[in-house]
Amino acid sequence: MPTLKIDGKEVWVEPGTNVLEAAKKLGIEIPHYCYHPALKVAGSCRMCLVEIEGMPKLQISCHTKAADGMVVWTNTEKVRKARQAVLEFLLVDHPLDCPVCDQAGECYLQIYYMEHGLYKSRLRENKIKKEKAKPIGKHIILDQERCILCSRCVRFTREVTKTFELGIFNRGNRSVVDLYPGISELQNRYQGNLADICPVGALTDRNFRFQTRVWYLQQAKSICPGCSRGCNIEVDYNISREYKAGGRRIPRIRPRHNPKVNGYWMCDDGRYGYKYVDALDRILLPRRLDEGEPVELSWPAAYTMAADLLSEATKEGADKVGVLLSAKMTNEELFAARKLFSSLGVSRIGFRVEPKEPGYEDDLLIKADKNPNTKGAELLELGLGAGKSDVSALLDAAEAGEVDTVVIFNEDLSKSSEAERAEAVLPKLGRVIYVGTNWNATAAKADLVLPMATFVEQEGTFTNFEGRVQRFWKAVEPLGESRTGLSILAGLATALGLEPVSENAEEVFAELAEQVPAFFRGSATRNLVSTGNWLRARLGRR
Amino acid sequence: MPQVKVLTEFFDVPDSHKIDVWEKHGGYQAIRKVLKSMTPDEVIEEVKRSKLRGLGGAGFPTGVKWGFVPKDSEKPKYLVVNADEGEPGTFKDRHVIMNIPHSLLEGMMIASYAIGAHVAYIYIRGEYVHPARRLEEAIAEAKAKGYLGKGIFGTDYDLEVYIHRGAGAYICGEETALLNSLEGKKGWPRLKPPFPATVGAFQSPTVVNNVETLSYVPHIIARGADWFASLSEGTERCGGTRIFSVSGHVKRPGVYEAPLHTTLREIVYDFAGGIRGDKKLKAVIPGGSSCPVLKADEIDVRMCFDDLAKAGTMAGSGGVIVMDEDTCMFDTLRNIIHFYAHESCGQCTPCRQGTGWLVRIFDRIAEGRGMPGDVDNILEIAQNIMGRTICPLGDAAAMPVISFVTKFREEFEYHVREGRCDLEDRKQRVAMAS
Amino acid sequence: MSVEFSEKALEQLRELLGHYPDRQAAVIPALHLAQEEFGYITQEVEDYVAKLLEIPATDVHQVFTFYTMFRDRPVGKYHIKVCESVACHIMGSTNVLDYLRKKLGIDVGQTTPDGRFTLTTVECLGACEMAPMMQVNDDFYGPLDEKKLDEILESLE
Ligand SMILES: Cc1cc2nc3c(=O)[nH]c(=O)nc-3n(C[C@H](O)[C@H](O)[C@H](O)COP(=O)(O)O)c2cc1C
Ligand code: SF4
Ligand code: SF4
Ligand code: FES
Repeated sequence: MPTLKIDGKEVWVEPGTNVLEAAKKLGIEIPHYCYHPALKVAGSCRMCLVEIEGMPKLQISCHTKAADGMVVWTNTEKVRKARQAVLEFLLVDHPLDCPVCDQAGECYLQIYYMEHGLYKSRLRENKIKKEKAKPIGKHIILDQERCILCSRCVRFTREVTKTFELGIFNRGNRSVVDLYPGISELQNRYQGNLADICPVGALTDRNFRFQTRVWYLQQAKSICPGCSRGCNIEVDYNISREYKAGGRRIPRIRPRHNPKVNGYWMCDDGRYGYKYVDALDRILLPRRLDEGEPVELSWPAAYTMAADLLSEATKEGADKVGVLLSAKMTNEELFAARKLFSSLGVSRIGFRVEPKEPGYEDDLLIKADKNPNTKGAELLELGLGAGKSDVSALLDAAEAGEVDTVVIFNEDLSKSSEAERAEAVLPKLGRVIYVGTNWNATAAKADLVLPMATFVEQEGTFTNFEGRVQRFWKAVEPLGESRTGLSILAGLATALGLEPVSENAEEVFAELAEQVPAFFRGSATRNLVSTGNWLRARLGRR
Repeated sequence: MPQVKVLTEFFDVPDSHKIDVWEKHGGYQAIRKVLKSMTPDEVIEEVKRSKLRGLGGAGFPTGVKWGFVPKDSEKPKYLVVNADEGEPGTFKDRHVIMNIPHSLLEGMMIASYAIGAHVAYIYIRGEYVHPARRLEEAIAEAKAKGYLGKGIFGTDYDLEVYIHRGAGAYICGEETALLNSLEGKKGWPRLKPPFPATVGAFQSPTVVNNVETLSYVPHIIARGADWFASLSEGTERCGGTRIFSVSGHVKRPGVYEAPLHTTLREIVYDFAGGIRGDKKLKAVIPGGSSCPVLKADEIDVRMCFDDLAKAGTMAGSGGVIVMDEDTCMFDTLRNIIHFYAHESCGQCTPCRQGTGWLVRIFDRIAEGRGMPGDVDNILEIAQNIMGRTICPLGDAAAMPVISFVTKFREEFEYHVREGRCDLEDRKQRVAMAS
Repeated sequence: MSVEFSEKALEQLRELLGHYPDRQAAVIPALHLAQEEFGYITQEVEDYVAKLLEIPATDVHQVFTFYTMFRDRPVGKYHIKVCESVACHIMGSTNVLDYLRKKLGIDVGQTTPDGRFTLTTVECLGACEMAPMMQVNDDFYGPLDEKKLDEILESLE
């Protein structure tokens, strides 16, 4: 292990580590633009220069391997001057349009300028004109004048997506980043990452542009519910100016680094797929149908009605009740639901919904299973036996007259492979209760609808396809009168006169971890609960 | 001081580019000797002892460079000849190729054998259409005689030589940009380490050598390292001769070969005949436009690598550019900085932005819109490029700026202050050379 | 323009491909060939070369835009390239250029209406002993003065 000294402090690192990363280990942030830990080293911005004893010239810390006995200085007069010079060079052709730039607040030209710049400007020359505000993809806008040619975006499309849409064309200071002229837009499903890795305002996110200034945002750690990969994400939420962004509390979500799951990236479907949380079709109040006419309810009335419907049904026999949970629900919700319905004697508890079309999958991140918690539901031993679709099994039972009451959690069957049959069968049933976040064809026809919170409005855990149990936190309060799944289940339990259920996800997880061997991991449980580190469920050891 | 002709001796021989003529003058004997009686290590040792240094610009000892190629690597090894010759003021490689292409080919054979290469490329600048043809013909001649291809000279050593034409980019003379260009990429220089000797062309160990450098090798082998080393007298770390390209305001521009203890004055006045129209000398760039300029009173320096370095400049590519008393230093430097800005690959910030910025400052001053502080800013910008870039093009742009401005500061101040040239009154427009 | 190499060019390309351990290395030679075949390089040509070499078209375009010898528009029968770098500059290349501009009636970057001459400037061509010099198609000419330029232009049919 090489041991080196950086700014007088000793640190040891893995062989092969560069000086920039070694410094990071000591909490020393060496300014840089082109270096990105997930991309090949370009060494071209020259911002990360440091002084290394015994070397006459300044060295770039991103391309210098830490060596035993090396003595590095990251903040000497010489180094600061060199950084200032690089910043000054970059600003020679920079349009200085910060007041109208969306990157303001997280632009590393601004940030480093504050830290290292502050020289008297001696720029008197005209700037080179290039293309501004050019849409280059469904989600991305390019401003060539703001580009500092760090080549991160180009390397991303070469090394990560391997789609090669972007290049640096021409040479010298006529160089520009651009799409290959033979294509009209980016062709990869990961383009949102380009806005993240661009250190300046040259690549911005069309979804986020001009929504809000970044300094109004706060972050909650979360997990993307878009597929079974479970990319770690950060939910940016806006509470100081709520509803300023056209009623959107969540202007954007971004990937959160997890080397074991998603690295630094996430896909566009996940990144932009969260908009239902602030959509106009959110279910905001409990509602029942009275002779086909919708009637809004208070929660106490809704719980009473739900309890009545379920009691009636189970009186005829608990077999008459079918429950369709969802692989979009958290481990805690699934566990609590299993507990509640089992104690009513219900055994038909499924969760598998087969989509009309198989989901897209690739070998980078995207999984065909568009549910975040299929593995969790499996580990909880939910499901109606073999087969891909519990919906089919339930509909079979309903058609055979074995089931006449169903409780559906957040699954729109009109989008499933059984859409037609569901449309025919559900209206014929005695009772349909729908618990969900947004209106859809299935909810519309339910006798009782209970509004549920979305993933940004609650906390809990999902188990990804590999069996990693990953925690996420709440960003914003449930919209309208919606409540978390756990809260709804607790209310139902009380109304049914059952043993009370905790509304607190941490408590439920503790109970779950104790009772379900697959989730038991001793102190790791505590670790999960306190830090959000994943633990890997014990697969195949039930 | 007379010229000493090792390579240029053949320039006057009629049809010296033809293989038969070349062989009549002793050509292809050195490679035969090498293949028959020398190990690769012995060849490398011999070249080291000859004190031959790279004549492409950097002056690195050639034998030492060959010695860096790992012997135990499983990968193929490549020899790449740098025939990009783009440094303003340099044209000797073109003369070597046109006159004695077989000297280069024989040098390539010996170098390839020394490093264990079975494929060698000649990267020649795209504009050199005729030189490329000449090389093609020479390769065809050598192939026809069994000197290239499978089992050359009846041994079991194989060697193929391919020509790879560039397409207009000075930066591709920088060896790692050249390798990228050879691989079909744009000419962006690579980060070092790794150096080409370990990871070069196609990820494999590679030696890049200049045309002229390699052309000396057969003569070194044929006549001995000691003979070559001793051609330069009193120059400790370099030997032999080199070909100087002399251009600018001299009576006889052209190529002149001489030992490295020759002084710059001898080259300008004895070989090139002195200043055109018998004007006064103002300044000389001794080794291609990237080398710091020398004033008229600084030309008694010997042209060896070390003495030029001591004089604050460089031997570079041996391109001697001579400027007479009527030359405007502001205008000349403006031209030079335009060149480097145009040729910057654009990869790294200080070079891309710095050269582009300097161009705009120089243009503004040329338009008569100089501002107080401009001269200091120019110097500081150049200093901020220096030593901070991926490849030496940054330094190549900065060094002329620093030297011109420091040595002729008053001329630059005058341009900034007055918006015109202080030579203007005296200077008649340079008549076109006749 | 039908974007396909002639059989001869394809044969040359096959030969060239044998020179390198991978296909990408043949980009520059292939673009040279394409320029000989089609006169200049269009986007269809870039796509075609990319397909021939099995590499992303973006990489072809990066190469195409980096090197000054590749052009995206046709040139006249005689392409005059006047060297403007330092040795030629101090020897009067500006006068050469001015004279050619006047004589041909075109500016740098333009082609005469009869399609005979295109005038461009280039950086050092490695022939400073001929300064001030120029290249017309493949040939170097220098040192130039007005009389010499007249003779050269006359000799170019
Ligand atoms: C910007 C730049 C341009 C160069 N151009 C050339 C060139 O045209 N020809 C050349 O032989 N070397 C050139 N060199 C030097 C090469 O990088 C390399 O050192 C040389 O080819 C090695 O060969 P040698 O050791 O035989 O000199 C250039 C270097 C730089 C930095
Ligand atoms: S667009 Fe952004 S990421 Fe791409 S090169 Fe420019 S500054 Fe870097
Ligand atoms: S110094 Fe200039 S030419 Fe060299 S890599 Fe940097 S930008 Fe390119
Ligand atoms: S981060 Fe090291 S050179 Fe850009």
